[in-house]
Amino acid sequence: MASQEKKGTVTWKEIKKQKVLILWSIVIVAYGIVFCYLPLGGWLMAFQNYRPKDGLFHSAFVGMAKFKQLFSDDTFLQVIRNTLAMGVINLVVTFIAAIVFAILLNEVKSNGGKKTVQTISYLPHFLSWIIVTGILHDALSSSGIINELLLKFNILDKPLNFFAHPQYFWPIVAFANVWKETGWNAIIYLSAITAIDPSLYEAANMDGAGRWARIRYVTLPGIKPTIMILLLMNVGNVLNAGFEIQYLLGNGLVKSVSETIDIYVLKWGISQNDFSIGTAAGIFKSFVSIVLIVIANQIAKKNGEERLF
Amino acid sequence: MKTKKVLSVLLAAAVMSTMFTGCGGGDSAQTGTQSGTGTDASPSGDSASSGTGELKEFTAFFAVPGTEINDDNEIQQMIADMTGVKVKETWLTGQTAQEAVGTLIAGGEYPDFIDGSDGAAQLYDAGALVALDDYIDKYPNIKEFLTEEEWDKLRKEDGHIYWIPQFSNIYGEEKATVHNDEAFWIQTRVLEWAGYPEIHTMDQYFDLIESYNEANPTMEDGTANIPYTILCEDWRYFCLENAPQFLDGYPNDGSCIVDPDTLTIIDYNTTPTAKRYFQKLNEEFHKGIVDPESFTQNYDEYISKLSTGRVLGMIDQWWDFAYTANDALKQQGLDLKGCNYVPLPITIEEGMKNQWHNSGGVVNVSSGLAITTSCKDVEGALQFVNDLLDQEIHDLRNWGVKDVDYLVNEEGEFYRTPEMRMQASDIAYKASHVCTYSYFPQYSGTSRDGINAMKPENQPKEFYDGLSKNVQECFDAYGAETYVDMLGTSEAPGPWYPMYTYSNGMTTATEGGMAWTKMGEIKHEYLPKIVMADDFEAAWEDYMKVYEECNPQAFIDEMQAELDRRMEEAAKYN
Amino acid sequence: MEKMKKNKVKTSVWDKVFVVCNTLFMIAFVVITLYPVLNTLAISFNDGTDALRGGIYLIPRKWTLKNYITVLQKQNLITGAYITVARTLVGTLLALAANAILAFIVSRKNFLFKRGLSLFWVITMYVNGGMIPTFLLYKSIGLTNSFWVYVIPGMFSAFNMLVIRTYMTGIPDSLEESAQLDGAGYTTIFLKIISPLCKPVYATVALFVAVGQWNSWFDAMLYNRMSSHLTTLQYELMKLLSSVSNQGSSAEAMKNAAGTVTPTSVRAAATILTMLPIVCLYPFLQRYFVTGLTIGGVKE
Repeated sequence: MASQEKKGTVTWKEIKKQKVLILWSIVIVAYGIVFCYLPLGGWLMAFQNYRPKDGLFHSAFVGMAKFKQLFSDDTFLQVIRNTLAMGVINLVVTFIAAIVFAILLNEVKSNGGKKTVQTISYLPHFLSWIIVTGILHDALSSSGIINELLLKFNILDKPLNFFAHPQYFWPIVAFANVWKETGWNAIIYLSAITAIDPSLYEAANMDGAGRWARIRYVTLPGIKPTIMILLLMNVGNVLNAGFEIQYLLGNGLVKSVSETIDIYVLKWGISQNDFSIGTAAGIFKSFVSIVLIVIANQIAKKNGEERLF
Repeated sequence: MKTKKVLSVLLAAAVMSTMFTGCGGGDSAQTGTQSGTGTDASPSGDSASSGTGELKEFTAFFAVPGTEINDDNEIQQMIADMTGVKVKETWLTGQTAQEAVGTLIAGGEYPDFIDGSDGAAQLYDAGALVALDDYIDKYPNIKEFLTEEEWDKLRKEDGHIYWIPQFSNIYGEEKATVHNDEAFWIQTRVLEWAGYPEIHTMDQYFDLIESYNEANPTMEDGTANIPYTILCEDWRYFCLENAPQFLDGYPNDGSCIVDPDTLTIIDYNTTPTAKRYFQKLNEEFHKGIVDPESFTQNYDEYISKLSTGRVLGMIDQWWDFAYTANDALKQQGLDLKGCNYVPLPITIEEGMKNQWHNSGGVVNVSSGLAITTSCKDVEGALQFVNDLLDQEIHDLRNWGVKDVDYLVNEEGEFYRTPEMRMQASDIAYKASHVCTYSYFPQYSGTSRDGINAMKPENQPKEFYDGLSKNVQECFDAYGAETYVDMLGTSEAPGPWYPMYTYSNGMTTATEGGMAWTKMGEIKHEYLPKIVMADDFEAAWEDYMKVYEECNPQAFIDEMQAELDRRMEEAAKYN
Repeated sequence: MEKMKKNKVKTSVWDKVFVVCNTLFMIAFVVITLYPVLNTLAISFNDGTDALRGGIYLIPRKWTLKNYITVLQKQNLITGAYITVARTLVGTLLALAANAILAFIVSRKNFLFKRGLSLFWVITMYVNGGMIPTFLLYKSIGLTNSFWVYVIPGMFSAFNMLVIRTYMTGIPDSLEESAQLDGAGYTTIFLKIISPLCKPVYATVALFVAVGQWNSWFDAMLYNRMSSHLTTLQYELMKLLSSVSNQGSSAEAMKNAAGTVTPTSVRAAATILTMLPIVCLYPFLQRYFVTGLTIGGVKE
């Protein structure tokens, strides 16, 4: 029966059977069209010289000029590179950190300890970037704790100004993301771990499986669907590498590696009164994201993994 | 097939949205009346509760950061009792001015009063503002607020006046005590140690700092001094960037130098002085005089360095550091150890006239207080603006309540006790008691009573009492009585001044504006590099090459056109 | 026999090493993540002017409660708190129900439009019409100056849907099939069979939504600026703090705003105050997934 439906034959019988589902779907799709797709009419802006006074319908059309303007600017290409690089680094690092943390936390036997660690670990999520970057600036300053340690262990002979060297910028951003979000990101995996059938662990123990084997053969496969789904989703987000943290940590000396698309848009679009450039960059980002997730989804499909759609 | 389906869904959505927003646009066209009733609904409810029945409530939005006051603010209530008007002010939060104004325009619904700040031109463009010129004559205080020439400067292309600049308007004699603007600052302990020498040039300034630091590498408690630091976070990089115009003896035109004889625009970024200045910084950097963290520190770190009293000197604008750092210095008693800053009249060569401080206010024509088309009672609104400029209410706004916030001696002079001064800077007290209506038109200078200053901070006695002993001594040594005296005052250089009111409004829509933005970007990146460079000459050449690629000439041409226009305008009045 | 015993000894040694290392790692992790919070806490209890000097780590240098008083004296805080609690409750319930239903639909193996509906939502994650069109839309359907703008627009979210869907897919089909044989409709299956098993994931999503609702302020500013009775806690605090944020600010604006700057220590106090309630919520949700709700029994 199942195979029959997979071929997509829409029979009245089937429709009747699924009428509750279909009715709900219609409501949900209507909602989605209104709240998520209707505002996309705003994409028109990218092809106009949008001016608030004229609104969407009376602004002059300029065709692809805004896109041309974006891509003819060398800085924009540099900005795409930065965004992509930080996006990928952050994705990989935060992703792995959260999974490793969730698994290790799951191995903590004391229930109280587990709860305490978890509660504390996700607290930094609630701090704003201003506060977190402030602390980072402090720790990495020439008299900060990091430099002091490096001097003490003779790794350096004089304090290093981390924020003056472009090569440290991406790692610092990645670290800050891990620091702030690992505990928070791990929540989802921890909840997935609870869904793993305890009898699988018992069976593994009976087979004399060690801790590593249990993780490898029970825990990881148990949360694999969640990992896959989050990975797929985040692949589409690599161009959303952020704004605030780069803005707050950046400075003139590392400008060439710190500016992201969002910062660029603020500088050249919004604060120049040009809403169209921002929209054009947004469309570009959407386009890249959708291409990426479609590809990733196809790969997942081919490998028989969990997929987005 | 699937993609086709998706595409058709997307298309349908796009078409529908077209229709949809189309309707929305139509709605906002008939705007005024609709939204007007909307805004009015709440005031009527509020006035009923206040009991007077007469109280008018207006709303105001200022596209700048600011602090909201409480609804039951005491002075606001007193002003309401006197004028019958209360204004609920809101400020910019988490958006840029352009974004905030952009959404307001899109929605077609405005508060009664607005200052669009960087978005003011958009508001005018959108026809959101009420032309004020027909009204102005009816309100004597408003009329008096600006001169005929200044009012004319405010006229937009259509010949009407849409906003009133609120600031830098001096009534009667100017009572400048503080140099609120940019300067080379130095701690009084350095001057004292050297026996209060005359310091007139950049070289002398750095020599002094160097020799002081050599003799006193640490503070009393053993913390190492930071001889010279430079703030260059984001837009605050003026602390690094614009000194060459002052060093050449020109005033702060902001984005360029205007030669007063030939009336031509000069780019201060490429002058020989600029090169010498950055070369000096480069040398001092390698000598360890310039703080190695200069280019990476953020504003908080900068202020915290200043607050510890370690920094001997820097370039900055007074308002950017003094309001915060001075309190901290005082709290630790560091003001008595000579850690307060005084400005020095520095130029590139000896014997040049400096123009760090200019007398007179600068009327900023690029934005101001405006009344929107959503306001249903334009006359009532303007009457309120007029009332706010009455001396009694003006005193209430700036000085506060007599006998509570200030005292009056036999000569009629206002003064405050230290407790009152303390109270006046308390955040909670400000929110519940003080109401300055800070983005409504206001005066500085001398009160109409001829005795007092319009604002407490300009009251000579107030000012003097607030000074630490070290600063007083320093002033005495130079024969100065105020910060301004340390620099000397120049008249505003000419009717064009200042050019930054124009360049601030430039956008990438014009070639010149594009060049201006690019130049800013390049300077942000390269100036720190040339200061830190091992080979200054090579770095400077690199910088000049990239700088030229920004097409600065386009910017200069546009500025020149504006200068010519301003001179032409001004000629009408001579 | 002998061999097996040896093996066991070996594992238990490794096990001990692992436990020690893991415990050390957890302690290090806790120290590193707790530090910024404790630092914020210390600054929040420190005198504002004094805090400017920097150098405060875990212990305030100059104790004061003034920062908290400043924050708590802010007007409209009570209104804001009401609205925030209301939006958190209503918003979380609505979003949970909405996403659960959506996830249930798209996780039905036989559902005809399963892929289409998933794709429809996945796309919404990556497209965005921008601030102004969205504003126009909300205005034209009457969502501005209304409480509903807080809870309706964000009700469905592809992310939360996918999280729940993934979990639901893990529930054996046999349960649904046997219920169907008993004549249960989809509504019954959803309410009686699937949902009770989804408590951990529901708790997770509820937490995500609640935190989002609790922390959001931008919508209050954008859509309800003129309706002060609809203000939210976070918006009120943002207004208090916005004078410190310098993003997009200009010299001209700062010059006139000078002296109104809110000290870092007030910012810290505000942060701590808003963190507290949502952190207290956590233990209640946590029991759903840390202690391990056993659904294994039914899964077989």
